[in-house]
Amino acid sequence: MTEPINRRRFLKVLGVTGAGTAAVSACGIGPEPTERLIPYLIQPEDQIPGIATYYATTCRECAAGCGVRVRVREGRAVKLEGNPDSPINRGRLCSRGQAAIQGLYNPDRVQHPMVRNATGGGSLEAIDWDGAIQRLSAKVAEARGTGIVFLTGAEASSFGDLVDEWMRQVGGRRLSYEAFGFDALRAGNRMAFGTASLPTYDFANAKYLLSFGADFLDTWLSPVEFQNGFSRAHAFDGGRSASMAKFVYVGPRLSLTGMNADEWIGVRPGSEGALALAMAQVVVSRRLARVPADASRLSAVLSAHTPRAVAEEIGIEQDVIVRLATEFARSGGGLAVSGGIATQYANGAEIVAAVNILNYVVGSVGTLVKFGADLAAGSTNSFADIAALTSDMAAGKVGLLFVHGTNPAHSLPGAFQQALGKVGYKVSFSSFMDDTTAACDMILPDHHPLEQWADSRPRAGVTAFQQPVVQPVFDTKQTGDVVLRLAGRSGTFQDYLQAKHRTGRGAGFDQFWMDTLAKGGTYGDAPTRAVRLSTDLAAAVPPLQQERGSGGEDKQDVVVFPHPVLHDGRGANKPWLQELPDPVSKIAWHSWVEVHPDTAARWGLATGDFLVLTSDFGSQKFPTWITPSVRPDTLAVPTGQGHTAYGRYAQDRSANAFELLDRKANAYGGRTFAVSATATKTGEHRKIVTTEGSPRERGRGTVEVLGVARAKALHAGDHPFHHEETPEYAAEAVAWWAERQHEKAELGDYRGEQPRWGLAIDLSKCTGCSACVTACYAENNIATVGEDLMQRGREMSWLRLERYWLTDEHGEPQGAVNSPMLCQQCGNAPCEPVCPVYAAYHTPDGLNGQVYNRCVGTRYCSNNCPYKVRYFNWYNYAEREGAYEAWPEPLSMLLNPDVTVREKGVMEKCTFCVQRIRGAQNQARLEDRNVRDGDIVTACQQTCPSDAIVFGDLNDRRSLVYQLAGNPRGYHVLAGLNTKPAITYLARVVAQDTPSHG
Amino acid sequence: MTTHLRLPLPKPIQDIIHPPPTPGVLGVFSYLDSTLDAIKKLRAAGHTEFTVYSPVPRHEIEDALGQSVSPVRAFTLIGGIAGCAIGAWLSLWMSYDWPVVVGGKPVGSIPPYVIIMFEMTILFGALSTILGIVFNAAFAARRSGTIQYDERFTNDRFGIFVPADSSQASGVESLLKQSGAEEVRRG
Amino acid sequence: MAEHAPPSRVTYDYVTRTIARTLGSPTRGYFLLLGAAVALLLVGIVTLLYLLRYGLGLAGYSHPVYWAVFITCFVFWVGIAHSGTLISAILFLFRSGWRTAVYRTAEAMTVFAVMTAGLFPLIHIGRQWYFYWLIPYPNERGLWPNFKSPLIWDEFAIGTYFTVSTVFLIMGLIPDIAAVRDLATGWRKKLYALTSLGWTGANEQWRHYTRGYLYLAALATPLVLSVHSVVSWDFAMAIVPGWHATLFAPYFVAGAIYSGVAMVITLLVPIRKLFHLEEIITLHHFENLAKLCLLTGSIVSFSYMTENFVAWFSGNPHERAAFWYRAFGEYWWASWTMNICNGLLPWLLWSKTVRTNITALFVISIFVNIGMWFERYVIIVVSLAGEPYEPWANAVYNPTWADWGIMAGSFGWFFMWFLLFVKNFPAVSISEVKEVLPPPKRQAARAGAH
Repeated sequence: MTEPINRRRFLKVLGVTGAGTAAVSACGIGPEPTERLIPYLIQPEDQIPGIATYYATTCRECAAGCGVRVRVREGRAVKLEGNPDSPINRGRLCSRGQAAIQGLYNPDRVQHPMVRNATGGGSLEAIDWDGAIQRLSAKVAEARGTGIVFLTGAEASSFGDLVDEWMRQVGGRRLSYEAFGFDALRAGNRMAFGTASLPTYDFANAKYLLSFGADFLDTWLSPVEFQNGFSRAHAFDGGRSASMAKFVYVGPRLSLTGMNADEWIGVRPGSEGALALAMAQVVVSRRLARVPADASRLSAVLSAHTPRAVAEEIGIEQDVIVRLATEFARSGGGLAVSGGIATQYANGAEIVAAVNILNYVVGSVGTLVKFGADLAAGSTNSFADIAALTSDMAAGKVGLLFVHGTNPAHSLPGAFQQALGKVGYKVSFSSFMDDTTAACDMILPDHHPLEQWADSRPRAGVTAFQQPVVQPVFDTKQTGDVVLRLAGRSGTFQDYLQAKHRTGRGAGFDQFWMDTLAKGGTYGDAPTRAVRLSTDLAAAVPPLQQERGSGGEDKQDVVVFPHPVLHDGRGANKPWLQELPDPVSKIAWHSWVEVHPDTAARWGLATGDFLVLTSDFGSQKFPTWITPSVRPDTLAVPTGQGHTAYGRYAQDRSANAFELLDRKANAYGGRTFAVSATATKTGEHRKIVTTEGSPRERGRGTVEVLGVARAKALHAGDHPFHHEETPEYAAEAVAWWAERQHEKAELGDYRGEQPRWGLAIDLSKCTGCSACVTACYAENNIATVGEDLMQRGREMSWLRLERYWLTDEHGEPQGAVNSPMLCQQCGNAPCEPVCPVYAAYHTPDGLNGQVYNRCVGTRYCSNNCPYKVRYFNWYNYAEREGAYEAWPEPLSMLLNPDVTVREKGVMEKCTFCVQRIRGAQNQARLEDRNVRDGDIVTACQQTCPSDAIVFGDLNDRRSLVYQLAGNPRGYHVLAGLNTKPAITYLARVVAQDTPSHG
Repeated sequence: MTTHLRLPLPKPIQDIIHPPPTPGVLGVFSYLDSTLDAIKKLRAAGHTEFTVYSPVPRHEIEDALGQSVSPVRAFTLIGGIAGCAIGAWLSLWMSYDWPVVVGGKPVGSIPPYVIIMFEMTILFGALSTILGIVFNAAFAARRSGTIQYDERFTNDRFGIFVPADSSQASGVESLLKQSGAEEVRRG
Repeated sequence: MAEHAPPSRVTYDYVTRTIARTLGSPTRGYFLLLGAAVALLLVGIVTLLYLLRYGLGLAGYSHPVYWAVFITCFVFWVGIAHSGTLISAILFLFRSGWRTAVYRTAEAMTVFAVMTAGLFPLIHIGRQWYFYWLIPYPNERGLWPNFKSPLIWDEFAIGTYFTVSTVFLIMGLIPDIAAVRDLATGWRKKLYALTSLGWTGANEQWRHYTRGYLYLAALATPLVLSVHSVVSWDFAMAIVPGWHATLFAPYFVAGAIYSGVAMVITLLVPIRKLFHLEEIITLHHFENLAKLCLLTGSIVSFSYMTENFVAWFSGNPHERAAFWYRAFGEYWWASWTMNICNGLLPWLLWSKTVRTNITALFVISIFVNIGMWFERYVIIVVSLAGEPYEPWANAVYNPTWADWGIMAGSFGWFFMWFLLFVKNFPAVSISEVKEVLPPPKRQAARAGAH
């Protein structure tokens, strides 16, 4: 290096991102470095090789706006973790958030601007940025007046503002589109309260939860926030008076959310509203709660909705209605939410209104349902607007179309695609070659959100900031910058952003800026706004009539629901999400249709048989999944698959459920997601890719469930599951064995000064959302093996979620209990002694160590593991260009440098994130102290939105995990084998009195 | 034995590996009882150092010769004991040399190691038995030097070779003929 | 000795020449067989190369079925290897004369079967190129194998068994090679002169030889019983329901001898025919082998019953689930093949007419071989597939071309060695067959003359 580094300039290069230019360019990819190569000869002061740096930014995988901290090592982002400062996700993250990093390093990203050449068969060819922008500004000039439209995703952000400004400037308009909009919520709120805004919901303080189809744990509004709140309310917490809030789910199928219910009311699609009104009627007429004064006039309006009338209308017993109403009102904190499927019928708005009324009559509006702190998630244009745009396009009224952050060609197949053809010039800012982008004339790839400067306003009072955490991986450009140049304005988008936030902050701005970036945003509380029932309730309360869309006998109600992890399909290009089994069906890599066993029997269907669903609008083919978690007269299919483009992981995979849906908006301007369709067997069959084992636990002691009454009766020191420890048939043998074992034990698990690491997993909190699984993939470099191998049971997931139905006396599922199954780190591990080369051994701190380098792959350890949590590398998944390559460039950049990438022929397993344990121990040693409880957080624990997992030292009597391990609800899986597991499961508590899990 | 490989070796070793032919008389018998008869006569005549060939091992011959029990069993015993010891040392020493705890079991746990000891006992016992046989047989061969042999002895004939210098030879010949040798050779 | 009286023309000379004739120049049929064996072996080698390059994923493994066809074949071949030493050692100690005609074949079979079995542990491990880490060799990192692991016990047991049965075979061969040497001419004479180690049948040689042979037999006898016990502990020491049973050692030993004797029959029938040994290997011998089959077969079927009874009687839900799955799960066909071939068929051997009907014996022996292969398949694959501890760890396993390829290779490997052996060394013991003949006596000759 000839000239000395000017430190200030250097830091400017790095900015707060501190991206190790050297590291990035050393990987041979990424743009030609903006500055000269800087070796660690002179070290950037925030970059210590081998030490991770964390940068706060915001997750943009959905509109919820969760704060994240990105773990950066030598200039590579290696892991996303929730930002504890964010009031939205409180340091938690869902699978989709965890997988954002696979978008950043996705091998199928658009790596440079491209333009469709007029001459050569209209194929896309590379172009440089200046050239592209010049061409585009020319296009904009000539397109003035012919209709310019800028289509974005949910953008309540400065970027949105900028686009709006520019559109005004060029006489165009901006529309924002989300495949799963919240039109019904807005319409329903307007009907009931005269306001179209979306309130926040305080799940944490609810005493009784009632969901009318709202999947608030998987896809509805702000899942992580709600799940966190839900687990606070619904988890069993000994000591607290109202020990758990009962959760009742109303809907035609059990979603991830429904799965966590204590009771399932499987009403016919569309009849949710009637039920809500009937309950309200009961509350009002029987004065079950102190009804707000202005609600008194409801009694007249609701007179028609007597339990009897409604009961026979929607086909459930009236005393059930009365019971629910009573429980709901008496709980003194009932929260009813409506959304998801329930708000996607033609009558969705009425249903929302009905549920609002129900909340209102029990006085929850204003306490648990808070208007004022409004959610931005619903701030997109209505589906009607989009439908209008589509027809405009088709009519050739759009000369220039910009698409950013949304993929309408996938969620509006057919209609939008054809319309697209009529548009004069189409520009996509997508960084992925998705269905829409593939049809565009020019692609100006945007930075990935992790490479961006941006902000967003997920809810009133909260502004979440994004800052670049790494150097751009490819030759992409932030769309904000592009727009600024097109608008002929100076400066970068970063300047624009700073300017926006500088207003009102004079000198203190720089400090404010640094602090905000460090915290990830500005977090305030918006005051709650009181709302009153709207004056014309007649509109809100429809006459009791046949809600059902005229089906016809041969037709089936088909419900199209958002996939919990792939959502509207945007997750489909991330192998982690593709390989993550759906929390309910446990199916991965393809879509399916849910059929009730009775229906299947009637049609002679077996799991895996293909069904062709034909609605009035389209036809698609899905393999059958037979499950009791759906109504016999209803079929359910997930969205997410069936992309025509969008990269190697998503393209041409399974079927696109959007095909079945109506392209026209319904009465309230929303989209109808329930259609009636004919189902025909094709005779074809496929082996579905599922990790599902036996759906019934068959008393194997894998999961334990307690009725809430029994759970409350437990005192410290009780051991309701003690019989599990020594089953009758083994009592004597185990006693004898334990005695023999006693003196060995000193040596056996190296007792004494050493810690014994352990986990406590509370099944009452675990919702089965599977965020922990993706976190585990990310932290431990677990390979994704792909559809073919997963079909042969070769997935490598160290952590699997076992779902067992909870059934009522009739054997009908009322929900499910989910149990995360991972290595139990047994004290007397069966896997260890059988290894001929000591590759499996016991560490002094009580882990079942697995020495990858020593393993020769006899696989005996797995055979002898009763929990079956050891996984074998059948192929070399890291092999470049190999048939089963798991990390094609540049995906390999997200590999965690602290963890070995396992070789072919080696056994691997969970070791409680041993790299984190050792890291914390080293840190403690440096600071000359002992490791404190809470210093070590495993990846699964860190991300768990419901705090179900607690890690710590079982030998430390002050540790939380020690206390939990002594909890009367605690039990060990297969304890009868005397393996002495380090994981204590806390039994699931259900509100029913007589739980049964098969 | 004509089929021995004749390697060119220095004189002293040559003498040990391929001793010079021993002078003596070889009788070929086709019947076991006549062979036994001859053996008795020879012993009565004070011959001790003669060799009896037979296609199969017959106890009658052993008895007639009044042989003592072979020392091979000593080899077997020593080998076996050594093997057992080696097995114990192997498993125990190696365990404590790299003490790793598995499955809550003691580092040196005897029960599984008994298996190792057992197998090693058998292995070393068998190998040293072979050693014993080869050593003894070879030693015996050396003692009797290179002596006359007839290829029929491995098929269906019995034979007796009596080392004898020219003075005794005629006596031995007649003795063998009397006892029914179908053929008598002098070499 | 209490052996039956052989036809008078079976004299020492007759025996020597008849058996020596088997070494005559091979026919085309022989080369066809040998070619077939080598072809199979090549299939195995190619498959192995694929496994080494791409990984064990090519085989049918599926979580949690982590052991399958390879280990099944391993146990199958080890089992085959057991009758040889049984016949040559245990029956030798029991002084049962009929063994002499058959033990050489059995012993050769033993050696080659162990050679085959020994390959599988090497093939089935994930990183085959590190197989030597299982051997306690001094290394600079001071690493040693884990003597608590049944796999290490296996290594020692199989290793010892291979060594001992090999030297046992060679010991028995020496006098016979000498006999052949004295008839042979040309290069064969040179070969046999070397390999007979200068055997002359002198009384001093016989003296040490017979003693030594006795001790070898005495050592081999417990070894036979130990080896398959150790193999069985690979499973019995694990806690997998269906494996974890104290019954396993005797059960496996019986099964091993059962399959081994069956294999001896399968091999002897053609040899006897091709080499015209009818007068040396007589019906009497086959009948005795059949009886041995009947005995061990009965023990095996008794073990089946015991297993199921204990599973029920223990009241252990996991055990019960495992055996229910075994009988009525996805693999019911495998279990029932095993039960019929091993449990029912041998009962035919109660009838003397079957025991003395070569064709019947041959067919039955084939079925027993199949049945015993399936027994191991059921124990290994089915027990793992129907994993009853963990309701969410169950898979339906299907073997692939890689599994079959390796298995074919193992048969090729075995028969290649066996065929080479029978053409180059006496497949029936010359000296021991003579041993059980009445020795030529002058009186007898006189009587014959009258």
